[in-house]
Amino acid sequence: MSAQRLKRWLGGLPTHIVLIGLCGLWLLPTLGLLVTSFRPFQDVAETGWWTALSPPKGAAEYAEFCAACHGSDGKKIAAADLTRQELVQSYRRSFTLIAALEKEINGRPHLGDTPVPDEFQAAAVAAYLRRISGIEARPRFTLDNYTDAMTGYRGTTNYAADCAAGTQSLDLFCDWRDLGNPRGMGRAFLNSLLVAIPSTLLPILFAAFAAYAFSWMHFPGRQFMFALLVGLQIVPLQMTLIPISRLYAQLGLNGTFFGIWLFHTGFGLPYAIFLMRNFLGSLPQELFESAYLDGASHWTAFWRLALPLSAPAIASLGIFQFLWIWNDLLVALVFLGGEHPVLTYQIGNMVTSLGSGWHLLTAAAFISMALPLIVFLALQRYFVRGLLAGSVKG
Amino acid sequence: MAAQAEQVPSIMKQGRATPWAYLLPALIVMATFIVYPGLNTFYLSFRNTGNTGWAGDNCIAGEPCWGAFENYRYALTSPVMQTAFGNNLKWILLMVSGTVLLGLLIAALADRVRYESPAKAIIFLPLAISFVGAGVIWKFVYAFGSGQVQIGLLNGLLTALGGQPVSWLTEPRINTVALIVVGVWMWTGFCMTILAAALKNVPTEIIEAARVDGANEWQVFWGIMMPQILPTVAVVVTTMVINVLKIFDIVYVMTGGNYGTEVIANRMYIEMYTSFKTGRAAAIAVVLIAVIIPAMIYNIRRFRAQEAAR
Amino acid sequence: MNKQIGYLFSTVVIAAMLITACGGGATTAAPTAAPATSAPVAGGIDCLGAKAGDTITMLYQWSGQEETRLNEILKPLVDACGLVIKPESTRDQALLDTKVQAGTPPDIAFWNTAQLVQYEAALVPMDKLGAQGENYADFFKAPGTVNGKWLGLPVKADIKTIIWYSPAVFAAKGYAVPTTWAELEALVEKMKANGDVPWSMGMESGDATGWTGSDFIQDILLVKQGPQYVLDLISGDVAYNDAGVKDAYEIYGKWARDPKYTVGGAQGTLSTSFLDAIYKPYSDPPEAMMVKQSGFAGGEVAKKYTDLKYGTDYDFFAIPGAQGLQGGADWMMAFSDTPAVRALVAYLSSTEGGANWAKSGFDLSPNKGAAGNYIDPALIKKGEALANTKGFTPDIGDTIPGGFGKAEWTALVDYVNGGDLDAALAAAAQVQAEATK
Repeated sequence: MSAQRLKRWLGGLPTHIVLIGLCGLWLLPTLGLLVTSFRPFQDVAETGWWTALSPPKGAAEYAEFCAACHGSDGKKIAAADLTRQELVQSYRRSFTLIAALEKEINGRPHLGDTPVPDEFQAAAVAAYLRRISGIEARPRFTLDNYTDAMTGYRGTTNYAADCAAGTQSLDLFCDWRDLGNPRGMGRAFLNSLLVAIPSTLLPILFAAFAAYAFSWMHFPGRQFMFALLVGLQIVPLQMTLIPISRLYAQLGLNGTFFGIWLFHTGFGLPYAIFLMRNFLGSLPQELFESAYLDGASHWTAFWRLALPLSAPAIASLGIFQFLWIWNDLLVALVFLGGEHPVLTYQIGNMVTSLGSGWHLLTAAAFISMALPLIVFLALQRYFVRGLLAGSVKG
Repeated sequence: MAAQAEQVPSIMKQGRATPWAYLLPALIVMATFIVYPGLNTFYLSFRNTGNTGWAGDNCIAGEPCWGAFENYRYALTSPVMQTAFGNNLKWILLMVSGTVLLGLLIAALADRVRYESPAKAIIFLPLAISFVGAGVIWKFVYAFGSGQVQIGLLNGLLTALGGQPVSWLTEPRINTVALIVVGVWMWTGFCMTILAAALKNVPTEIIEAARVDGANEWQVFWGIMMPQILPTVAVVVTTMVINVLKIFDIVYVMTGGNYGTEVIANRMYIEMYTSFKTGRAAAIAVVLIAVIIPAMIYNIRRFRAQEAAR
Repeated sequence: MNKQIGYLFSTVVIAAMLITACGGGATTAAPTAAPATSAPVAGGIDCLGAKAGDTITMLYQWSGQEETRLNEILKPLVDACGLVIKPESTRDQALLDTKVQAGTPPDIAFWNTAQLVQYEAALVPMDKLGAQGENYADFFKAPGTVNGKWLGLPVKADIKTIIWYSPAVFAAKGYAVPTTWAELEALVEKMKANGDVPWSMGMESGDATGWTGSDFIQDILLVKQGPQYVLDLISGDVAYNDAGVKDAYEIYGKWARDPKYTVGGAQGTLSTSFLDAIYKPYSDPPEAMMVKQSGFAGGEVAKKYTDLKYGTDYDFFAIPGAQGLQGGADWMMAFSDTPAVRALVAYLSSTEGGANWAKSGFDLSPNKGAAGNYIDPALIKKGEALANTKGFTPDIGDTIPGGFGKAEWTALVDYVNGGDLDAALAAAAQVQAEATK
């Protein structure tokens, strides 16, 4: 018996290896960003994110060249205390450090018999000295990227430092109120929700109506209409922005939530109709027949039978539409702009026109990802039945 | 068609107007937001740069000119568009096969393990990331450090193994493939979810019966499950072909279409909003639509055949 | 149960509509909305009839710290007149273009010169709005003038014809700042012979990749051909595949494609972001000796290497032999003529406006009132260079409309990536011919 279990376990092993391997591959890029988002930005371009846990730069070189005389903490020679900023200030770069090491001290080479380090080793030692002397005292991991992104911090250092020094800009309070700062992500998060929820529900509702008609009603041109509506998926969105905003300008809809709901509804409909039609059409015919025999109208059948039964299709459609709108920048930019900034807009604006501030994107990307992931995990079990509708019948 | 019509029980017949009432909201919205701009695009594709006359005005004396079809000459024959067509073909071949095969593999494997849910969530994760986020994420994979330090994962790995760093995004032989990898990473979750749903739908009795008959897992998969889910695979493939033809964001964010990575939709965007050549952009859009139509028709045809068969 | 789901949809949709209807007015993003004051004139600012509560809609490309500085500059005006500024910030030209084409442009846009030509018909001339033209040198008014109409007010300028280096490294390695182009070329060769990489030329910048390179090319043109040649390129009198341009590309290419001259060679030039390229002369050990970049680079060095000091650890010198400066300017253009817009134009073009701009540290102000008001030492030096220059040529790519900038970058990227130079320049010249036809 146990031999058989072992055999079965061994037989399943390749499955686990391949699957876990693939999951690892899929996670790796995101993991890199996650680690990076907790690093001070000055470090990011210096070392790869995977080295974040290895010993600090220069520790090994310091031990090799300096520790013997200066001690492992750098304080052994009182006259040349390597933790003193004023001293290290003159030797904080490799070229000045090498020059100093090449000079003789008390008639003997500075390093005795040890050869003078090359410039990469010297640079590492210099980096180590900057760290222990506090000239460059930054932690290896920090939450600054997250607080700066959340509060919409726009200064030259970071939110925590400015608040500690009392030099924060006028729109910051340095307390919880900053979470509602119009430049921060809190307000944008709410705006994104305000855009995404109706823009997800409206097309589903409209598509459900249309799909019901396509599935359970007789009318001439049914096939043609269906093909036409679904076929409209092919119109590229980028080409519709100018005519629609011209239209909106006349209707006064530019910059309103209502305008963007309608736009997203329009572009969500073709796929939504396709999916809903497939699902509704695959529901058992007898169900509707008996409802009619009981005297139900189409209206009742739609609300009481069709809609509740297509919950799985609605769930899966809902999540894809929600994700698409949540992550959309172009449409929100054109139709809402800065009046009601959404998350993607706010994230894009964390980078200045000259490219600095991009490190805030690392944290911001994770903050904006959180909600869609929760929605996905919550609705995941509906997928099994829901997405089926797009393809095969039950 | 006949099978279609009979599908609706006669008892459920309704008045002439009722179906249209149900269709009305969708029709109004789609006519406004898709049909009208679509027709507008078609019109613009024959107009000149400032929309002040016909496209022929853009011709330069001594250069080839297609008159009112001048924008189409650009869309079809210019070197940059030729590159874009070639690249879109590469995208279709590699990304569609990559996402569908990997999606199928993961769906089939995840079905057999207890950590199915988390595994699927991990593969799905990239779909929840905006393109701006994805751009930053992949920067730390493809980054090319010219000096001592590599902050890109791939080059970090290469140099650790003693190799030379590669400039993944600018080297014309590999950059399009590097971008396609990002696309596969983002869209495999989509294919996986749909294919997993189809796999779950294969009746367990058939599979069990085959296993009892001594078929191994490989035979069960190809002999029993594949034929059952083939229609779904067809839908996924065509949906992906349509998506890939419209691919824009990945290229725009990561290379801006430089280094020979141009694709049709990115070129359209650049002509529209960087060069402000609305007519050319419109012509490219029409060409793009024309390329997608066959896939769309196939998708709808196949759907109808399936409906008729039930 | 079944009923509930049906109701759920309608309730949620309606609820959401209500929420936005109520919240619509309250969620303006303007941090500059000042308490309404009725004083029409305060602190020398003339409100020109603008009333408290008047709004100005604005669109600009600045964000982050740049936006904060703009707010500081505008604060005296906003406080004095009680104006409400409704800004939108994006680098996506699609937004501006969509708004203008839809007939709903912002009151004020800060954008490039090319947009002055593009939106000529929709713009209100600056003199009509009461801009104080005497505060601007002619070479600053000229690029903002289209068909005889002064449409753009240059508000912010940055000089590009400079090279950043580290005085400390130069001293340690025995290099001297060159004073002629020949000396610069000799210095580059000397560095190469010593095993130091002279240049950091990275030019990756997303869909704008190439702009650092085209800046460099234009500086070489200023040295080798002079400013008139650059203006002729802009007007289309000289084709972009002229021998002079080709010569400049070849000088640039000799450096940009060779790992002995620039960090990483051709692939390094193409795939190193322009921001990382700025850091390279200041890393330890330095990866390069010099980076040719506009004035803003100093600020980026200060942010990244917090222990470095301007003047000793990082500094810049003008490109030796360049005749006049190349610069980028941001242009204010007005799409409407209201009292509030007039007050804004008058304020920014006034001596006081120029002085406040200078004090804010938001790059240079072309306004003559800026002189003597810079606080940051690097800005003082840049301000002097700008004040003393004999000529100022705008960026070729920004100035020619119709996507020439993109075509120029494409040519450069293709050439550096090993493409044929003649073909690359011919393609750009084609776009230039279409644009200047």
